[in-house]
Amino acid sequence: MKRLLAVGLLFALAPAFTPVPANSQKNDEVAKLSLKVGDTAPDFTLLSDKWKTVKLSEFRGKKNVFLAVYVLAFTGG
Amino acid sequence: MDSPAANAAFAKQIGVKFPLLSDMNHKMLTSYGILKNYDVEGEGYQWALRANLVIDKNGIIRHIEGGDTAVDPNTAVSVCLDLHKKQGTP
Repeated sequence: MKRLLAVGLLFALAPAFTPVPANSQKNDEVAKLSLKVGDTAPDFTLLSDKWKTVKLSEFRGKKNVFLAVYVLAFTGG
Repeated sequence: MDSPAANAAFAKQIGVKFPLLSDMNHKMLTSYGILKNYDVEGEGYQWALRANLVIDKNGIIRHIEGGDTAVDPNTAVSVCLDLHKKQGTP
């Protein structure tokens, strides 16, 4: 039986164009992943391209989840 | 800012069948530590850090990578395959 290996979730993670505090320049390029292998993934609820909410914990006990976080739609990166 | 509407057009263009999600208020990005600050000509902007994560059925992170290497999904895909093999087919 063929089954889905993982549910792929792509995040259109948009640039917010929100001004950030003046000291943010120091943080340029220093964003670090605060999570590591073995940690419990924080739950989230996000809106899909079908305008439906998708909650990470809905997949608990059912499917593995592959999250690919990208910056902009219509780009290759 | 990419809205669900922009994602819907993108999904149609590339023909994907899985959901494309929007984090317009940056809640998820912040909790995962992948919101990145950029300085463009003196103005601050916040964008997502490119990242791949594999989360198993128990909600445990099995793979996480951020930055330029995350553009290539192959490492994450092989983690998925290993995970699938270990779990077996029910």
